[in-house]
Order: sequence, then C-alpha cells, then structure tokens
Amino acid sequence: MSGGGAGMSGGEGMAIVPGMTELTRPYWDAAAEGRLVIRECRGCGRLQHPPVPACPACHGADFGWREASGEGAVYSYTIIRHATHAALADAIPYVVALVELAEGPRLVTGITGCPPESVTVGMPVRAAFRRVTDEVTLPYFEPA
Amino acid sequence: MTPRAVAIAGIGQTAYARALPRTAWELAIEAVLSACADAGLDVAEVDGMCRFTEPFETVSEAMLVRALGIGELSFFAQAPHGGEALGAVLAQAAAAIEAGLARIVVVYRALSQSQGGRFGRADGRGPGVATRASGGAADIIVPETGNLSFAWPYGLMSPGQLFALWATRYEAAHGLTRDQLTTALGSIAIAQRAYANRNPNAMMRDRPMDWEAYQNARMISEPLRLFDLCLENDGACAYVVTSAETARALRDDPVYVLSATQTLSPYREPMGIYVQGDLLELFPPAAAERLFSGAGVTRKDVDVAEFYDATSYMPLRSLESYGFVPDGKAWRYVAEQGTGPGSPLPVNTHGGHLSEAYLHGMNGVLEAVRQLRGTSFNQVPGAEVALVGAPAGSATILAR
Repeated sequence: MSGGGAGMSGGEGMAIVPGMTELTRPYWDAAAEGRLVIRECRGCGRLQHPPVPACPACHGADFGWREASGEGAVYSYTIIRHATHAALADAIPYVVALVELAEGPRLVTGITGCPPESVTVGMPVRAAFRRVTDEVTLPYFEPA
Repeated sequence: MTPRAVAIAGIGQTAYARALPRTAWELAIEAVLSACADAGLDVAEVDGMCRFTEPFETVSEAMLVRALGIGELSFFAQAPHGGEALGAVLAQAAAAIEAGLARIVVVYRALSQSQGGRFGRADGRGPGVATRASGGAADIIVPETGNLSFAWPYGLMSPGQLFALWATRYEAAHGLTRDQLTTALGSIAIAQRAYANRNPNAMMRDRPMDWEAYQNARMISEPLRLFDLCLENDGACAYVVTSAETARALRDDPVYVLSATQTLSPYREPMGIYVQGDLLELFPPAAAERLFSGAGVTRKDVDVAEFYDATSYMPLRSLESYGFVPDGKAWRYVAEQGTGPGSPLPVNTHGGHLSEAYLHGMNGVLEAVRQLRGTSFNQVPGAEVALVGAPAGSATILAR
C-alpha cells in the first residue's frame, strides 16, 4: 500500500474503527456514503469538529450538517514508523495529518495516494474515502 | 495563594527502573514513608493527600491510608490530566493548608508500567483492547471519549505521535529546515542525558549520548526519534506540603511555594489537537502571567527550570510559552546557549523524563527542591528560585 494511510486493518486482521454516539454517528454515516460533513450551528453558522452538544459561540442547540467541499491543506503531519498497536504492524510507515478544511475546521486524518516523504505542510489536499469494514468508511486525504 | 505561606518540607522517591519487582501500591508506600522521614514526620501525622486521577494514578488515597495506618484524612483531592497537572496537585495541597482543611498534605505519584502497560503502546489496555469479532478477526472499537474516536482509527494513538504533529508545525511556522529542528531537539536531549550521567538515580546514568548516537536513533514518529521520547519505567515520588511555620519547625531549609497554577481552556486539555486557533499556543499566555505575578518574581529571577518532557519538543516550546525566550526563537537559543551547566537557564538538571525517569512531572518537583536546598547532583550555584512547568501550562514557582 504505497503512500501510507494505515487503512487500519493491518496485522492480526484487526480493524480500528470509531465507536459512535448519537452526536458523532451522522459524521460517519455520511463518510460511508462518500461525503464529508461538518456539524453546523443553524443559529449562527459556526462549524465545529468534533461535534459538541451546544454551540460554543451562541449556545444554540439547533444543528445541521454542512457538506464540506473536501478541499483543504496539510496543517501538520507525522510519518509514523513505529507501530504502537499490533493492528498497525503491517501499516507502517503511514502518515497522520492535521488537515485544515477550506471551510475552517481541522481534522485528524491520514494522507494517502503519495509517498509519505512527499507530504509537506501547506500541501493542498482533497478528501478521499477508505472503507475499512463493511460498516465503516474513514475520510482520508490525497494530494489535490 | 500567598507566596511563602506554604512550603515543601520533605521529598521521597524509590529507585527508578524499567521494571521493579513491586506493585505501584508498594512503590507509593515507600515514596510516602521516605518523604515523611525526610521531613522528620511520623506518617501518622499526614491528614491530607493529593494525586492525579485514574487512569494516571492507580494507587488511591484509600489504599495508602489503609496500608500506612493513617488515622484520618481531613482533605484529599485529585487533578485530571496526569503530569500536565503537575502544578494543580500542589495548588490544591497549598490551598487546603491555607484554608485550614489539612495540616500535612502528601502529594504522590506511583507508576508500574511493567505491570500496568507501557504508555508508548496502545494495545493491551484501555480502548486498545479488541472489543468485537467480525469475520474471524477482532476489531478495535474506539469509544468516543476525549475525541479519541476521531484519531485512533487513523493510527494516532500515543502522546509521542501527537507531539510529532506539534514539532512539525513548529518547524513550518518558524521556517526551520529539518536539520535545524533536529539540532534543537537533539540539543535538549543531549544536555539532559549529560545531566543524567551525573545523577546516580537516573536510569541513563551509565549511558552517555553524543550527537552521532542521537542522530542514529531510529525514527518513531517523524521528526521525533527514540531519544526524543521519554523513558518507560516503574517508580514513585512523593513530597510533603505544610505551612511555612510548620516547615521551619521541621527543618532549616524548607522550600517555599511562591505560586502554583492550573489552567484549562477549549481543546487545550493535554494533547487537545482540535484547538481552533494557533496549535502551537498550548495554553493562554495569561496563565503564565498569573504564575509569575502570583509569585512576585520575574523571569530573570528564575535560576533553574524543570519542564515536563514526555518529548524533547516540550522543553523547547516551554522556554517560549513561559516567556524565557520569545516565540519562535527557542530552537536557536537551545542550539547556541544550551540548557546545560552554566547556560542562562539550566533545564531538567535531573535528566528529565528523557533520561532520569518518567514520573509525570513529579520527579521535576523533587529536583527543584534539591536545587533550592543545594543538594542536586547537578547543582546550579546559588539557586534561589526554580520553576517547574508542564507544556499545557500547569506550573509552580518555588524558592528557598
């Protein structure tokens, strides 16, 4: 799997998947459909990731999910060369990044579709989706 | 908090090693008894305890009261966030003493990573244990707590990996080359190793490290190498907090608490990667101002600093966050002036978590006390004021 991106179904056949709550499930459900969404306050328009139950700006509790463009830039990254979990033994090296979306919020994600050594801070990226189990798809990013 | 109203009257510790043949409970008992003996107190006089919450501290005050035969605690408190709260447990102890809630408060930290799991591993404990079988394979379902469910599935699971993101951002924000960043991180790691080589209690006492050894260490999470990351070990530390008056009655050289702080703001809990402003600002600058104004001292008055260092990036950035070096200048400062003996501000004179042992900041407090008593193995001549600080802003200023 050139270009890193752990995929998180590496050694020992284990997949590492998000547990979901009422608050976070819509994010993962959208990802399963190949869409990147960010929780948005309908009162003041603030975008918040990861979601919290109240709007930190206006304290409103009426939320929707904004469809993000999927465009962004690498804010920071690390090439991980030492597996800290048995499930990742076959995944190294892989790139974990903070990506700043065009809409503002930053996500923890992985960079795929390029050699790990070619990733730089500021590099433009776009969303790519990786199915890790029958139920779970994770938003990744690749060079734009 | 009133400066010099409260003092540290005793310190105690166990041996530090990769594996000790004793439980964290046994280690805690030894450290607490040692701290009380150092203070000249019978442990039965202890009436208060402060510690970090679980999962950081696994030895409860109830376990210690039971094992040590302490009649009654009238005050006990815990602070979350482990070593990032190193100033919080002292602030709570000091506040309790000033408020008359307790007379003798013991602060402790005991750790058995050989029995309880290494912090550098994400499997075998906590959310890392497989929770569901699917198609013959076991899956890890990461519960949503502290945003972990948004990070672990991408393989971002350990503090060292997280702080690699901070170090890379620092490099980019200040226009450093990778070599310049490596020189800065290595300057800190090598200076601390040299301190540890003169500290007989340090795990790395017999392991010198030069530039070649540092640079040849394997990459763990770029740009952090093996020697940019803290040790994994067993051990325990404790110290005794009491009123200045009681401390003076117990010993000639109490170490006074000038100030102690805790701080929390959105996503700036330790490793709060989702902060919406500048990632590099790990705590509000107002917290550092509160620390110094409360203590009634300036940066120039500080003779020695012990910075929490789970990674070598943390002391680098703490020099800036606490205002000793302007933002974006510490990388050059540590390479040119250094943090070793005779430098403007010696840092982590015990060897720190990188080279003495990892005790969640508590061994840094003990080293600051030794410096102010004049008994450190790497004594800063005439040290009168010491700062112990965590990267996320919880800190203390102590003085003799």
